[in-house]
Amino acid sequence: MSDLDRQIEQLKRCEPLKESEVKSLCLKAIEILVEESNVQRVDAPVTICGDIHGQFYDMKELFKVGGDCPKTNYLFLGDFVDRGFYSVETFLLLLALKVRYPDRITLIRGNHESRQITQVYGFYDECLRKYGSVNVWRYCTDIFDYLSLSALIENKIFSVHGGLSPAISTLDQIRTIDRKQEVPHDGAMCDLLWSDPEDIVDGWGLSPRGAGFLFGGSVVTGFNHTNNIDYICRAHQLVMEGYKWMFNNQIVTVWSAPNYCYRCGNVAAILELDGNLNKQFRVFDAAPQESRGAPAKKPAPDYFL
Amino acid sequence: MELEVDENDLNAAGAEVFANGGRKGIRIHGWLIESRTNSILNSSTVQEWEKKLETSHLPEMVFGENTLILKHLNSGTKIHFKAFDALCGWKQEALPPVEVPAAAKWKFRSKPFEEVILDYDYTFTTPYCGSGAIEIEKELNGTKISEETGNLHWEDCKEEIDLVALASKEPILFYDEVVLYEDELADNGVSLLTVKVRVMPSSWFLLLQFWLRVDGVLIRLRETRMHCIFAGSTNPVVLRESCWREATFQALAANGHPFDSAAYNDPSIISQKLPVVKRTTQKLVISS
Repeated sequence: MSDLDRQIEQLKRCEPLKESEVKSLCLKAIEILVEESNVQRVDAPVTICGDIHGQFYDMKELFKVGGDCPKTNYLFLGDFVDRGFYSVETFLLLLALKVRYPDRITLIRGNHESRQITQVYGFYDECLRKYGSVNVWRYCTDIFDYLSLSALIENKIFSVHGGLSPAISTLDQIRTIDRKQEVPHDGAMCDLLWSDPEDIVDGWGLSPRGAGFLFGGSVVTGFNHTNNIDYICRAHQLVMEGYKWMFNNQIVTVWSAPNYCYRCGNVAAILELDGNLNKQFRVFDAAPQESRGAPAKKPAPDYFL
Repeated sequence: MELEVDENDLNAAGAEVFANGGRKGIRIHGWLIESRTNSILNSSTVQEWEKKLETSHLPEMVFGENTLILKHLNSGTKIHFKAFDALCGWKQEALPPVEVPAAAKWKFRSKPFEEVILDYDYTFTTPYCGSGAIEIEKELNGTKISEETGNLHWEDCKEEIDLVALASKEPILFYDEVVLYEDELADNGVSLLTVKVRVMPSSWFLLLQFWLRVDGVLIRLRETRMHCIFAGSTNPVVLRESCWREATFQALAANGHPFDSAAYNDPSIISQKLPVVKRTTQKLVISS
């Protein structure tokens, strides 16, 4: 058994790799990712997955439902880390699979694959806690800069973490972005990872936060028509039912973190496309309590004042 | 971790605990104290709520069926906490939106054709300090129904909650924490409304907390505490103290506190650093 196969087996047991192993895994991953396009071509059949957020045991449920990689060809739409307890193991397992089977798994970047966001929402602290230093966080966040920004399945389904940008009308415009950088605070690359579809606008909307675009039905219609695609598949927003169509089936949100943050009680979904792009959503629940390594504890009674 | 309560403590206090699915609670000194926890609302219920509240935006996670109820059985006095009422308060207060730091840069971006700027209070800040009613159980054609017959009359007062007595390590007979709603502000911070309760042999105490952190901009903490001492046959009195605190990141940094958001994850640790903007003390005298 090769080192890499052994590491994959270890990660599947939710045991993190040694720091030196992470370093060499990341170096190998960069060689693969640097060759990928900003609009990475993906062949069908493929299974599309949304946010995971460090919920390792729930991702194992996902693989039970969807099948193992490389038997199943996977596309993950980003947000592998933060919020859940096992961002390290989750991301490293996906990355190890990417290095082992580069043509059977595609990882694109979510807005959480960023230095700034991971310092606030958990991944940075988790690395520090599990390794006693932030080196692993550095290796991983360097990898984030190489992740592709979107994928195009059989030239017909455009996949991205967040959504569209007013600075982008054609896929070729995405192809020209220089992606090897921290996610910027504005501009096309930021929008692809951050924006949301919104029912109450038809064209473009600006979030009340003063930053962040919202896009309506006619924007999606225009984009799909210009680029000759059937629909957009994105993630980024929690959906109680696991997936949600909008604007007459022109865009779908797929959410793959069941019982999000270990308390929302939502189901998760993945989208399976066969060789003819026929769709099947597979909905699944969180892993049962007894199959989790550490219990997700309820807060202990405390003498709050 | 489930609370392990000593049977002897329960017996000595004349109390009885119960648990049944998502419901659990305690009966003690004429009070029924109960919490219910469930999933976030599904999409169709979210739509119903949006209609009722006349809004097109609700928090990402609305625990619409979660509740904490404290009912004084003899008088029918019911104090309870639920997301819907808190969101009614949010709608009414309707604070102007808070701009995130990136907004400054965004003002210089080229505007898309026909851009709509949304202007609701995405922080879901609420003045909510609990719901209440007098609720009488009635028999109607053989089935028990509850009917609300009046409101609770809170009056301003000078008495204060005895935090020193509450700090004593009396056994906790019942404890729970209930989330009412939560929003991640699209990864720009957190907005979280929770209520937690602890019941001891001598009293019950609860803390309703609205916690808001808009990263790099603002911290807001609105807390309501209620305390009721079990006092034998006399009319029970519930004290209610609301304390609102707020500070900008700029003001915190100017006072030597850190500027980065990761330092502000736990409201109980930083609350003392936040200046008080409003404080009220009220009481409710329950007459049987």
